[in-house]
Amino acid sequence: MLKKLLHSREITSIAFIIFMFLGVGAINPAFLSSANIWLCLNSSVVYTVVAVGIALVIITGEIDVSVGATLGITAAVSSTMIRDGQPWFVAIGAALLIGLAIGTINGFGVTVLKVPSIIMTLGINGIVRGLIYVFTNGKWVENIPFDYKNLAQGRLLGSITYFYLGAILLIVAVHLILTRTKRGKYLAAVGDNIGGSTLLGIPVDMTKFAAFALCGVLAAVGGVLYVSRVGFVTPIAGNGYEMKVIAACVLGGISLSGGVGSVIGAGVGAAIMASISRILVFIGFSSDYDDTITGVLLIIIVVSDALIRRRAVEQARRVRLSAKTQHVAAVRKEATVGE
Amino acid sequence: MVNKVKKLFVRWEAFLIIVIVLEFLIFGTLSPKFLNIRRLFSGLNQFIPVCIISLFVTFVMITGGIDIQAGSIVGLTSIMVGVLWHDANLNIFVACAIALIGGALCGALSGFFVAYTGVQPMVVTLGGSFLYSGMALAVSNLSSNAAYQGISDFPEAFRAISKTEVFGAVPMQFVIFFALVVISYIVLHRTNYGRKIFLCGVNPNAAEFSGINTRAVVMSTYMFSGLSASIAGILLTAYLGTAKADMGSEYTLPIITAVVLGGTSNLGGSGGVIGSALAALAVGFLRIGLGLNGLSTQYLDIPVGILLVVTVSLRFAGTNPKLRKLFSRKKRQTVVSKGN
Amino acid sequence: MNESVQLPDDAMLSVRGITKAFGSNSVLKGIDMDIAKGSVVALIGGNGAGKSTPVKIIMGIYQADEGDVFLDGKATKLGKPAASLAAGIYLVPQEPMLFPNMTVEENVLMGFMQKSSDLHKRLADLLNHLGWKMDLNRKAATLSIAEQQLVELLRGLMRDARLLILDEPTSSLTFNEVESLFAIVEDLKKKGISIIYITHRLTEVFQIADQVLIMRDGVITLDGPVSNFTREMLVAGLLPPNAVIHRDQCENKPVDYSSCKPALEIDRLSGYGFCDVSLKVYPGEVLGLAGVVGAGRTELATTVFGRDAVKGGKVYIDGKDVTGFSTRRMLDSGLNYVAEDRFLNGIFRKSDVAANTTAANLDNMSKFFINFREERRITDQFIKAFRTKVTGRDQIIGSLSGGNQQKVVIARSLSTNPKVLILDEPTRGIDAAARGDVYTIIEQLKAQGLAILLISSDMEEIVELSDRAVTMFCGHINQEFAKCDISQDNLMAAAFGVTEGSAKNA
Repeated sequence: MLKKLLHSREITSIAFIIFMFLGVGAINPAFLSSANIWLCLNSSVVYTVVAVGIALVIITGEIDVSVGATLGITAAVSSTMIRDGQPWFVAIGAALLIGLAIGTINGFGVTVLKVPSIIMTLGINGIVRGLIYVFTNGKWVENIPFDYKNLAQGRLLGSITYFYLGAILLIVAVHLILTRTKRGKYLAAVGDNIGGSTLLGIPVDMTKFAAFALCGVLAAVGGVLYVSRVGFVTPIAGNGYEMKVIAACVLGGISLSGGVGSVIGAGVGAAIMASISRILVFIGFSSDYDDTITGVLLIIIVVSDALIRRRAVEQARRVRLSAKTQHVAAVRKEATVGE
Repeated sequence: MVNKVKKLFVRWEAFLIIVIVLEFLIFGTLSPKFLNIRRLFSGLNQFIPVCIISLFVTFVMITGGIDIQAGSIVGLTSIMVGVLWHDANLNIFVACAIALIGGALCGALSGFFVAYTGVQPMVVTLGGSFLYSGMALAVSNLSSNAAYQGISDFPEAFRAISKTEVFGAVPMQFVIFFALVVISYIVLHRTNYGRKIFLCGVNPNAAEFSGINTRAVVMSTYMFSGLSASIAGILLTAYLGTAKADMGSEYTLPIITAVVLGGTSNLGGSGGVIGSALAALAVGFLRIGLGLNGLSTQYLDIPVGILLVVTVSLRFAGTNPKLRKLFSRKKRQTVVSKGN
Repeated sequence: MNESVQLPDDAMLSVRGITKAFGSNSVLKGIDMDIAKGSVVALIGGNGAGKSTPVKIIMGIYQADEGDVFLDGKATKLGKPAASLAAGIYLVPQEPMLFPNMTVEENVLMGFMQKSSDLHKRLADLLNHLGWKMDLNRKAATLSIAEQQLVELLRGLMRDARLLILDEPTSSLTFNEVESLFAIVEDLKKKGISIIYITHRLTEVFQIADQVLIMRDGVITLDGPVSNFTREMLVAGLLPPNAVIHRDQCENKPVDYSSCKPALEIDRLSGYGFCDVSLKVYPGEVLGLAGVVGAGRTELATTVFGRDAVKGGKVYIDGKDVTGFSTRRMLDSGLNYVAEDRFLNGIFRKSDVAANTTAANLDNMSKFFINFREERRITDQFIKAFRTKVTGRDQIIGSLSGGNQQKVVIARSLSTNPKVLILDEPTRGIDAAARGDVYTIIEQLKAQGLAILLISSDMEEIVELSDRAVTMFCGHINQEFAKCDISQDNLMAAAFGVTEGSAKNA
């Protein structure tokens, strides 16, 4: 069990974040204060939740670039409803329904209409972004009740926020479902080998559809948390989040071709992504380099991943071919021995 | 002869021309301002960069790839020109030349990864979009001007690139766009290189078996795409008179929409620049027309997004066997089966 | 719908009248099969005979165009894999389709609904019973091919399959692993599990099968207990009915090659999928290269053509060392290759005939701009010479028939003016008229002095066209034939590993 842990892809990510923190701490010891570390982790909660959602889609071998827009619109809708005095659970419920609707539409487009996921979600992204403007009339949503905003501040024992604790529980729960339940394993199976999945009777389309739908719901959860944490919502809320959470997944060891990686990795990756900004501040760089570093990291990881995969596939093919030529040699050997 | 004319009309480009004509009819009726040539060109000016980039992203998509970093390269180019001219005191045109090379290199880098490591184009250009917009921001910090201000007061000679009007009313940008349409058409449909782009997109295996260096060809398409983004960035900077790092950030969706709407299949192997150019214009006119009729700019992505999804799904719905069965059950006539 | 069909009493599975066509390509033309309970039925056939198709239909991966499947005497519809799995049928594919990033245990248990601890126990018990040592926690990507096939077998066994279909299970196994597999098969027979065993290796048929079915051209040509047949009868069953049987006398006098220089010489070449291959092709002759799928012929050709790495040995064209050259350099050195899979590697489906014809030759025709005039000239020249049926140079190749597509591909291979031409299954999937045209083309090329290496699984074709022939088996050249020895039964036997020296053991 320990051995499995040591060999997993997630361990690389965890090691990365630890070394990253230690490295920064060496330059500026103030970084390693427990208050600061908790600040880094707690601030990653929105990324984490959305990353878990998108991880589901990526594990099945697809992609979803509309999560940022989904976050934005659910944030806008729920915050407006809360500001206008609606009961919180109604507002949150509305947000979740919207997220589910968007995810369902994405899933429908990809599995039934056979639109490639990049194009489908790109189009939906544009539409939803526009709808945010329609809904908010281009205005910010402010004056959100203090009690709601305060939820984000609630901490357990003064360190971990309840939000982040929830996120961690979410990761654990989803991870267990994906790795321990029969249906949960379908996601990785579909991403790993579609042909093999079909042969075993796994419902490929339904699995992908479910992944998209859940991704939409989790993006909506992210939107709800966002409102509480940030305290106000602009029409461009969530812009660029899709890139960040995809990067988070990749950093966490999830392969974009599907079938590899876990939501734990997504969580670690999200923590890394959220910490980069703060890290830049602590080592004296402007946070303007945030995107640059993210881009570089993303490219490095994705390219390495592709190279490794390519090599593995080539190796497998060559081994297969070489095996075919050995039979004759063995038969000849047997023949001479038998004579 | 009749057959040739018939063939011409069945083509997708003809459909696009009809769409544009319809747009003129509809928007012209709804708001006569639409038909004011000056107004039209002025509205189109901001959209020309998208049109130009679409031409060369077409190259990329014909090979079966996709490029979502072009928008970031626009901004990077813009701020590079600004900073090189303003803070490094280089001649403006030298600054432009450097920026063009920079854009081409940015494209080439992603193209290299796609062609030589087999990484998915969507993902590496996603990383590229991050990287280049981040670099744009970094470059803008090198300037004495604050980032949000941008750099302005460019020399008239530079601004003339975009602002000159040829034949009285046609802005220079449009002429450049037109020239690029001609150039890209010639390259794609009249040169060996262009033919190779198609072949690599239709069947990369067969291309390899024909001795074509598919990797070099694929990489070069990304380079051209990046170059076109640079050209667009320079034109936009000249037109607006300001260099800003975040220019072009909203271009990705319209570019992809224009290329896909223009008839290029995202699977690769078919498409053309004329289609992309017409589709880009159609999308541009759509935005202008809707804008004149009261739709605020931020909402304009909705119809574009809808257009993209509907176009692609209709195309694919034609190939989904389940949907086909659904429709063929209604049509009980015998269908002549095509050979092979 | 159907009159009452007479089915044998002990048949666990029966099929009647199965037809299946892919597009205009008719693969199955009416298959009848009966699989008795607890028996091993060997299914053999040449390349392109369509062996995999009926079992994929039984497994629900494909749907038959016509025909019925009967399970235990009752007509059943097996529309998707889940239905076949539920009926107790499992196909162990030729290329294992495991989930590379999951462990062995996860791979085997994927898709089961029961409690995981129960399943784990059943699996452990099963392994014990079989006597296999397998680390359940290894990732599938790290397994050898043999181990992967065992995992696929485990999947079937865990499902209490009543019918296991093994598609060429031994193609990648070592000798000892094959023995192991046979022991398992015997064991399964005793348990009453039926097995359909698809293979190329005639020896195996006699070792473990009870019944043998031979498929040729989409129909079953031979069907009966193994004890009724000899090896020669099986080989004969694989051949078309009017096949010429070898006669011992040779009317032609042997050709003296000592004064000729080979256009293509391959010297002890080893690569991925073949080993220690040596052969020579002389100008103006056709060297036939026969063998079954997987024998390594295509791998040999593609490696020579620069598509894969050379592990050892040399290749010479007209005496010049061209070992390891890239495809482009090979083309420029005077060798061209017509790919085996026309659809995958040969045609640019969405492009027109002209573009397909000139694809390999663009830079030779002109430097920068496409030389449309030259393109038109070359295309027209080949269309005329090959009598290709097209509506025009600009017809999209995807809408041509298979035969005409092949003509265009061959035209392309000739457009680079090669000295050596390798043809890989040039007449696969094309109609008789086009086939005749292709043979004429080959004869013309011979007359022009081209050296041709003809890879084909159609023994009749090799007999008709070749001046000399060699066969490959498991990546090695196992027999050479002079003109008078080239006959369909000789070639077929050698292709299936039955050579004179190894008749006792193969």
